Parts: sequence; C-alpha cells; structure tokens
Amino acid sequence: MTPDGIRTAFGPAGLTTEEPVGRSTAWWGVTLFVATEGTVFAALLGSYFYLRFQHGAPWPPDGIARPELLLPLIMTAVLVPSSLPVVWAESGIRRGRRWQLRAGLLATLAMGGTFLGLQGVEYHGLLREFTVTTNVYGSLFYVITTFHGAHVTVGLLMVCWLLAASLHDGSGARRREQVRVVAYYWHFVDAVWVAVLFTVYLSPRL
Amino acid sequence: MNQRLPPRTALFGGLLLWFAVLGGVLSWTVHSLAAWSIDELTCEAGHDNLAGFPLTGAVALAVLLPAAGAATALVVSVLAWRRLRPGPRADDDRSLGRAHLLAVVGLWLNVLALAMIVLGGVAALVLPPCQR
Amino acid sequence: MASSTAACDTGPGPEAMASLSRHWAEAPTLRNWFATVDHKRIGRRYLVTAGVFFGLAGASAVALRTQLAGPEAGILSAWEYNQLFTMHGTAMIFLFSTPMLFGFGNFLVPLMIGARDMAFPRLNAFGYWVFLFAGLFMWASVPAGAAPDGGWFAYVPLTDERNSPGLHLDVYTLGLLFLGVSTTAGAINFIVTALKLRAPGMSLNRVPIFVWAVVATSFMVLFALPVLNLDNVLLFLDRRFDTRFFDPGRGGNVLLWQHLFWIFGHPDVYIIVMPALGIVSAVLPVFCRRGIVGYPLIVFSIVAIAIISFGVWVHHMFATGLPQLSYGFFSAASTIITIPSGLQIFAWLATMLTGRIVVRVPFLFVVGFLVTFVVGGVTGVMFALTAFDQQITDTYFVVAHFHYVLFGGAVFPILAGLYYWLPKLTGRMAGERLGRWAFGLVFVGMNLTFLPMHVSGLLGMPRRVYTYPGGLGWDPWNLLATVGAYVLAVGLLLVVAGVIHALRRGEPAPDDPWGGDSLEWATSSPPKPYNFPVIPRVHSLHPVWDPRTAESTGLGADGDRILAEGRGTLLTSELDGRYERAVRMPQETLKPLVAALGLLIVFLGLLLAGYWVAAAGAALVVVTLGAWLWPPRQTPEEADPAVGGGAV
Ligand code: HEM
Ligand SMILES: [Cu+2]
Repeated sequence: MTPDGIRTAFGPAGLTTEEPVGRSTAWWGVTLFVATEGTVFAALLGSYFYLRFQHGAPWPPDGIARPELLLPLIMTAVLVPSSLPVVWAESGIRRGRRWQLRAGLLATLAMGGTFLGLQGVEYHGLLREFTVTTNVYGSLFYVITTFHGAHVTVGLLMVCWLLAASLHDGSGARRREQVRVVAYYWHFVDAVWVAVLFTVYLSPRL
Repeated sequence: MNQRLPPRTALFGGLLLWFAVLGGVLSWTVHSLAAWSIDELTCEAGHDNLAGFPLTGAVALAVLLPAAGAATALVVSVLAWRRLRPGPRADDDRSLGRAHLLAVVGLWLNVLALAMIVLGGVAALVLPPCQR
Repeated sequence: MASSTAACDTGPGPEAMASLSRHWAEAPTLRNWFATVDHKRIGRRYLVTAGVFFGLAGASAVALRTQLAGPEAGILSAWEYNQLFTMHGTAMIFLFSTPMLFGFGNFLVPLMIGARDMAFPRLNAFGYWVFLFAGLFMWASVPAGAAPDGGWFAYVPLTDERNSPGLHLDVYTLGLLFLGVSTTAGAINFIVTALKLRAPGMSLNRVPIFVWAVVATSFMVLFALPVLNLDNVLLFLDRRFDTRFFDPGRGGNVLLWQHLFWIFGHPDVYIIVMPALGIVSAVLPVFCRRGIVGYPLIVFSIVAIAIISFGVWVHHMFATGLPQLSYGFFSAASTIITIPSGLQIFAWLATMLTGRIVVRVPFLFVVGFLVTFVVGGVTGVMFALTAFDQQITDTYFVVAHFHYVLFGGAVFPILAGLYYWLPKLTGRMAGERLGRWAFGLVFVGMNLTFLPMHVSGLLGMPRRVYTYPGGLGWDPWNLLATVGAYVLAVGLLLVVAGVIHALRRGEPAPDDPWGGDSLEWATSSPPKPYNFPVIPRVHSLHPVWDPRTAESTGLGADGDRILAEGRGTLLTSELDGRYERAVRMPQETLKPLVAALGLLIVFLGLLLAGYWVAAAGAALVVVTLGAWLWPPRQTPEEADPAVGGGAV
C-alpha cells in the first residue's frame, strides 16, 4: 500500500470501514464454537505444561521412554493435508459441481479414518508400556490424544453427514453454508493437532 | 461514506480501528502470560536464569515490549478518536458515530492496559524475582 | 419523550397482519407446548425454572440458618449440612443467577434490538431443556442422599475419591458439565443474535446497555466456562478411571484444580453480576426521566470488566506460596478493575442527580442494589489488603462479603427487572403496594441476615461449620442472622404472591407503562408471536422517544421490513446495522427436546457407570442432530439465495 493509501486509511473514511461485515449467522456460530473449543484445548495443553514443570525432571517420569516420533509424524502427514480436499470440495459446491464435492469429502474421510487407525496402532504399542493410570504423564498423554481423536471423530461424522446429504439432493445456498461450516471445523481440528504434536510429542525432547 | 476507497485501503482502515480498540488489552494479555510463566517456571525449576539469559532481563522484555505495543495502540486510538469526532449533523451518519464510540472505548482500554503493564514493571523492579 | 409508538395505525394492511399471525402463531396443542421455539415462551420458562431453583436453594439456606440459630443445635447432621450448603452455593451460582439472567436476555434481547426471534431458535429451545434437565439432575441428588458435599468450589484433595467416596462429587462434576452445554449454547446464540439481527439503523452506538452487557457476559462465558469444564472432566476421570491429574503420589498436582477453577471462577463473579448491572442501566434512567449519563463510558466499563476479570484469578491463591512477583503481575489487574466498576456507579448517580426521580417499585429495588453493592465493594477492598485477607479467609466475614456482592449484585437487580418487565412478560401490572411491602421486607431481611455475619466473622467464626459451641460471643449474631433469613424469606414470598396476583387479577398493562426508551416498549404487552408487525428503523439511542422510528413503523412501513410471507426476520451488518437480507426462521420442532433427553441419558449413564447406556444416549444425540440439520425439501422460494441462508 502506498503512503498515500495509508493516510487515507487513517482518515475518517478508512477508519469507518465496517469490518467484519456481511457474515452469515452460521459463520458466526461456528466461529464462536471454535473459539470456545480452542479455549478447552488451550487450557488442556496449558495444564500439560503446568503439571510437567511442577513435576520437574525427568520428564517423562518413571523410566517411560520419550515418545517415538515416526508414527506421529506420519499421522501429521496424513491429517494436516486432509484440509486440502475439503477446500477443493468447497470450491466444487460453489461452482455447482457435485462430483467434486463428493470426491473431496470422500478423500477427507479416508485421510481422517487413516489417522484414527494409526492412532489405534500407536495406542496398541504404547499401552503395554504405560497406561492412563500409570502416572500423571500417562494420564496427560492418553487424555490429550484421545480428546483430540474424539474431535476428529466428530469432524468425520459431519463429513459423513454432508456426503449423505449431497447424495440426497442439490446444492442450495443452505448446503453451501453447511459445507463451509464443516470445512471450518475440520481446519480447526487439523490446527489443534499441530499444537498437540508440539506439546505431547516434540516438547519432551526440548 | 467509504464506498470509493480501494478495498485494501478500506480493510486496512477497518483493522486499524480494531487495533486502536484491542491493541492495548492484547498487549496486556501477552505481558501477563509471558511474565508470569517465565517467572513462575524458572523459579520453580530453581534457577535464576533462562537458558543463560538473566531472569530479570527476560522479565524486563516481557514488560517493555508489551508496554510499547500498548502505547502505540493508545496513540492510534487518540488519533482515531480526534479524527472521528462527529459533526453537528452526526445523528444521521451512524458509521461515524459507531467508529467514534469504538475509539473512545479503545482509548480508555489502552490507558488501563498500559497502567497494568507499568504496574507489573514496577513490581518487577522492587521485588526479587523468586522471593516467596 | 416525543411520542410512544402506536404501531399499526397506518402500517401493514390487514392481509399482511393476517399473514403474519398465520405464519408465526403456534397452535395451542400439547405437542407445541414441548416443541415451541418462541424466544418469549422460552425466556419465560427460563425465568420460572430458575425461580424454582432459587426457591430450593433459598429453602436450603433457611434450613442452614435454622440449624445455626443457636449453639449445639441438632436439626441437621454434619453430613446433611455439608450437602445443603454445597447445593445452596452451587445452585445459587450455576442454576439460579446465570440462567435467570439468560431468561431475561432471552425474552428481551430480540425485543430490544427489534428482531423477531433469536438467531438460532431451535438451539435456544435445546438450551432451555438442557438447563432444566441438568438442574433436575443435580437437585434429585438431594433426596437420594448423594448431593455434592465439597463446597461450591470443590477443592481437591478433599474431593478426590479417597476423601470423598460415593456419587456426591460425580453429581457435581457431571451436573456442571451437563449444564455447561446449555450455557455455552445460550452464549453463542446471544452473541450472534446481537451481531446480526439488530433492526436496520441500530449501529453499535445505538445498542441498549442491557444488550451490551448480555453480549459481554456471553463472551466471558465462552472463554471462562471451558476451563471449568476441563477441570470437571479431569476430576471425574481421576475419581472414576484413576487418572492421576490431582494425585501427588503419582506426579499430579492438587493446585491445578484451584488454578483452573479460579481462572473460571473470577470471571464468573462478573458473569453473574454484569447482566444484572445491565438491568440496572435499563431500569434506572427510566425512573429518572432521562437517558443514561455517560453511555460510551458505560460501554467501555462493560468491555473492560469482561477482559480484565480474566487477569485477577491469582488473588484467590494468596495462601498457596507462589513467588511474590507472580502476584505482582496480577494484583495490578485486581486494582485496576475497580475503576470501570466504580465508573458505572458514578454514571448511575449522575443520572439520578440530573434526572427527575419517580419512585416506583422497580426503582426501589435499584436503590436496594446500590446500597448493598457498595457495602459489598467496601468489604471487598478490605480483602485487597493482603494481611487482612490472611486473617479472615474462611470466616463468616467472607460469607457476609460475597452475599452483599451476589445478593446485592444479582438478586436486587433481578427483582427490579421482574417488576419492571412484568407488564411486558405477562401483559399485567403488578400491584404497587404489595411490591413496596415486598421490597421493605427483602431489604431489611437481607441486611439483618448478612450484616451480623461480618461481626461473627471478625469474632473468628469459621464458615462451613454445621454447629458451634456457645459462649464465644457468636450466639446473638447468629440468632439475628437467622431471624433475618426468615424475614427475607417472607419478603421473597410476597414477591411471588405479587406476581401471582398480577397474573390473576392485575390491571392489563399498556404497551409502554413506564415511558421506556428501548424497543421492547414499542410493541404490545405481551408482544405478538412475531414481536413487531413492522421491524422498526432505528435513528438514535432512544428509538421509542424518537418520532422517526414511530414513522418507520407507521406511514413509512415498507414490505422489506414487514416480511409477511412466512416466518422471516432481517439480517443486518455487524457494526453499522445496515440492511443485508431477509432470512427464514424455523418452525416448531421436538428435536431439541429429544436431543436434550439424549444428553440426559448420557449423563445418567456416566453417573451410574452404565457406559453402554451413555453411548446409546450419545448415539441418540448424534442422530437427532443429524435429522435436525437435514434440510427439508427446498421450495423454489427457499432455494432463492435472497431468503435461503441459514438459521440453524
Ligand atoms: C436467600 C437468601 C440467602 C441466605 C439466607 C443465604 C445463606 C447462606 C449461608 C448461611 C451460607 C453459609 C453456609 C456455611 O458456610 O456454612 C451461604 C453460603 C453461600 N451462599 Fe448463600 N444465602 C442466600 C442467598 C444466596 C445467593 C442469592 C447467592 C448467590 C447468587 C448465594 C451464594 C452462596 C454461596 C456461593 C455460598 C458458599 C457455599 C460454600 O461455602 O460452598 N447465597 N449462604
Ligand atoms: Cu476474586
């Protein structure tokens, strides 16, 4: 922006620009919902650090090994890109291409499902080493990851619902709005995973 | 009244007003979280430095940077408040009235936020960081 | 006050009116009683239900006071006493104050902003049913002998499984989680409604203070409540599934509970009080015959309190040994937050000084509020002196202080609001004489109950004791407090009697009995199902006193704001209230009720360890929500983007 533009922006004409503007009620609803859910995760991850630092070294305690990174990184590689097919599906319905909507949603479903499967594999191995009752580390590890997994599940249920609805009928304005809401929620679940990855898997190595 | 502005300029103006409203309290939030967790966690771990960096220095940064942010927001809000003062026929220009209200709210929010950050800085000056 | 609006003289024609009634009226069937989505009916239900919970919590308090009337009394056992004081505190905070104010919000926010319903009417119905079931869930534990007994803030380790076996604390954690669903849904609904459904022309600088207060409260709920929910989840897991969050033997930490609880708990004090202050700002100026003084400063004060209240939780932990500097960062917030609170008081005083005061019952309750709230504020400042704090922590001084704040800050404004809006809620006027008697008894009773507690507290009487030995100088003060509690109870019963009397044979209320300035007074008492035949156009902060608004619903009414075809209301822009488009509102439906029942099954299953039952309940919720959002076959008109967009 030119200095002149900045000066205009800082004048009455610029400052009175309405922003945000023209959003739908559904958009606001899901934004606020994501905000409150994000607060839950913030408090949960904050509790992780609080308990960890109050506990002191060694972390993980009681001879539990540091978390393996390979599997979680694969899970990341599956989950984070799953936002792309959602975006693609969204643009599909905007252009009235129903096949694109369905294909995009199916891809998301597959990727999210894979993520959950991998989480199961991970638990299967780890549960032999420690469980949710072993100590505070075990409780944190399983509760945080399960809580996130539950959000992935809810997101997938929404995607299933959209798929079913897209097989049933057309692509009115309302449906577009719904796809947008689900996409929004799915991006949120993805973003939270990055925070979980950092807290649970990477931070013990710092 | 702003139909003729290019979209980017208009957006920038709108966001600038929000910075004038919320910049101070956001800085205060950053300040409290940063200063508190630095102090609490370092002392808990029994050090008085943070990876070789003296603790007082880290706390000072957690005071000064947010203070600068809040001060900037304060200046912006004062300017916005002066430029948005509604004229005599204000009654009908509701955008101006609305933006002026937000500027007033922001101005006082920034004053409070700056005051809280400064008081936190004073506490950091007089209290040794890990005293219980 | 130029004119009060006579809405339908020259507004919509008879066909339009008939069409509006046809589309909005809910047939008076039993099904519709359960299926209603009308914010006015739901709001009234919130008020009545919260009133009943207030009665139960009040009855518990009277039982406590009866036990404490004299030393060594044997009316309640320690075990019963613990459950009753915990239920009293928990219910007053969670099941009475916030839902009661949400009830006012539900009824009033759409009316005040000139909308025809909340943004999400079905979610609104769902929120009510969840509130009702969560309240019953918690109260049912009292006759079952399993009521929470760990105090309203349930400090761990007192409340872990070893120290507190049985279902008591599970009722607490699960009940509050269940209730949290309702509160969160309500908060989202209020914010979206206030952002998008305001009448055209109502830019942010023309929004009534009460609406600002409800919106700010809702934001606080969205950021504070999740922390409490998390805390309760962790405690439930620790108790039921042996996780170790609060178990120091396995690396956990009991202080985590307190930190999380007060990160919620401090804003919660303002969550309770803020909408009540909003009521005061709505009621007081009307009886001073002028607009409120310092509108921008009050808005500032509301926003400031909502934000800063999140920064003051650490002062609840003075006894726990954190580094002093950590306190330093937060005590700044504790000091500064008194500025915006004081500002509101000065704005009200200035309004009274510059106005022409008319003393009616609502105004009396406002005065009662001012007196008690200021006393509570003064004793609060005494806490700020840390040394003093250490002395009186956990004595009756604290009990006295927070009742002045909470009773003064919530109950008096709620009663003021009740008398003020009763005409709008019911279409009837309350009797003035009975109301004055009620005020007198409540005011005297309240002070007689809680003033002596300051003294017994300073004499060292600890709180949360089920009895005490005689001869420590506490006896007379306790007796006085008990007498006060009975006087107070009689006063509150007179309020109930007044409402019933008004319903039975009160005078019919005119549209605008008090000469109010906000839009709820621009429509009939009680309002028609569609609230406004013509959605008004707003030109100032006092639309009812503004002839241009009257003109906009009379001669100047246009089809855009009548929306007679189907259930419709307007969306306007977030900040400036510019006309955007019309939207469809949903019809009556039983799905919210079914979804709430599903949740009830979930929580009962969790409580009684029937996890498969809980899973079945969850499945019911999921299926119901799926069906709820399933779009019905679209009519061509609905497929038109102009009226398509979504009210969920
Ligand atoms: C109706 C008149 C009321 C009376 C007679 C009353 C009486 C009492 C008494 C005697 C206690 C102390 C119990 C003890 O420490 O042993 C108490 C505690 C409490 N009250 Fe009230 N109260 C009343 C109204 C309210 C209201 C309106 C609220 C809140 C909006 C409230 C909130 C509380 C809370 C939070 C506690 C603390 C419970 C605990 O220690 O966990 N009370 N009340
Ligand atoms: Cu506090």
